[in-house]
Amino acid sequence: MNLWVYPLLVAWTLFGLLFSPLFFLLWYGVTRWSRAKIARHFIWLYGRGWMLIVAPFVSFRRRGFGREYRRCTPCIYVINHLSFFDTYCMALQPVSDIAFAVRAWPFRRLFWYTAFMRMARYLDVEGSGFGASLEQAREIIDAGGSILFFPEGHRSRDGNLQRFYSGAFLLAVKLNLPLVPICITGTDKLLPPGTFRLRPARVKMQALPPVDPAEFSGEEAHLLMRRKVKEMMLIKLKEMKAED
Amino acid sequence: MTDAEVVSLVNNSLIEEFELEESAMVDEAEIFTDLGLDSLDIVDMVVVLEGTLKIRIRDDAGLREIRTLGDIHRFVINKKRETDKAAESK
Repeated sequence: MNLWVYPLLVAWTLFGLLFSPLFFLLWYGVTRWSRAKIARHFIWLYGRGWMLIVAPFVSFRRRGFGREYRRCTPCIYVINHLSFFDTYCMALQPVSDIAFAVRAWPFRRLFWYTAFMRMARYLDVEGSGFGASLEQAREIIDAGGSILFFPEGHRSRDGNLQRFYSGAFLLAVKLNLPLVPICITGTDKLLPPGTFRLRPARVKMQALPPVDPAEFSGEEAHLLMRRKVKEMMLIKLKEMKAED
Repeated sequence: MTDAEVVSLVNNSLIEEFELEESAMVDEAEIFTDLGLDSLDIVDMVVVLEGTLKIRIRDDAGLREIRTLGDIHRFVINKKRETDKAAESK
């Protein structure tokens, strides 16, 4: 599996780096989408390509991405974090116009992706202050895009949900946007933290019903929202793991 | 309320709100590195402590000097005393 996936992933990445400028111009000529929207769509397509590469060894299943999910854009997505490849699995979502909120290190260390992340207007929630992130998020939302957070901040080492940071929830409250919790399982089996050795896995992703920030009021609204969303995700993750 | 009760209340509030380990709640714990809080958490912490202890600390310049959990305890104890004294004198 490793001898198949890694070389193909490198080839797919090089193909993207080399030919994306050309495809970018063609896509713009046809759709007239904004630069950021095209970049997000290409990242989504890149993720789809990765899913095809690993498909002989990994089964993907998604649930809850029906009418209610599709109606709920733009919005804030929050998803649990188990593996480096969680970000690639975001291509399982049927929507591509999503800017990720990420920490500072991917902008520095994943240098071959940096230009795309910048073009897609990913939020550097660690490097910029909350005010700057809020303004950038507002612009993304106004242009019809959504924002995705991993509220745990980093990958879980034991598969259990860790504590949630507040950023996503404060943003949802400040921008009065619905928040869609998403649960993912199986990527920790595919590539556990601390190793490069891939293993066959069954990846499941489930979108939960949107949470409206209007349900919460007062100064602690985002904290109450965070608590509710975490409870929802804990229950759903337990169900999903029990199915395995 | 005694100082020990204030410390206990502060610790319990932070443990509950930020899902911290009880064993991490030592005076010398750095709030950013050891407790893993970020700048937004500090804003949340202020809201939580104000609600729990019925004090107002958000505009206090002393907040900027806080580095450790022990600093939080001392800051909150002083603020609680000031608040209680002000309430008694009314």
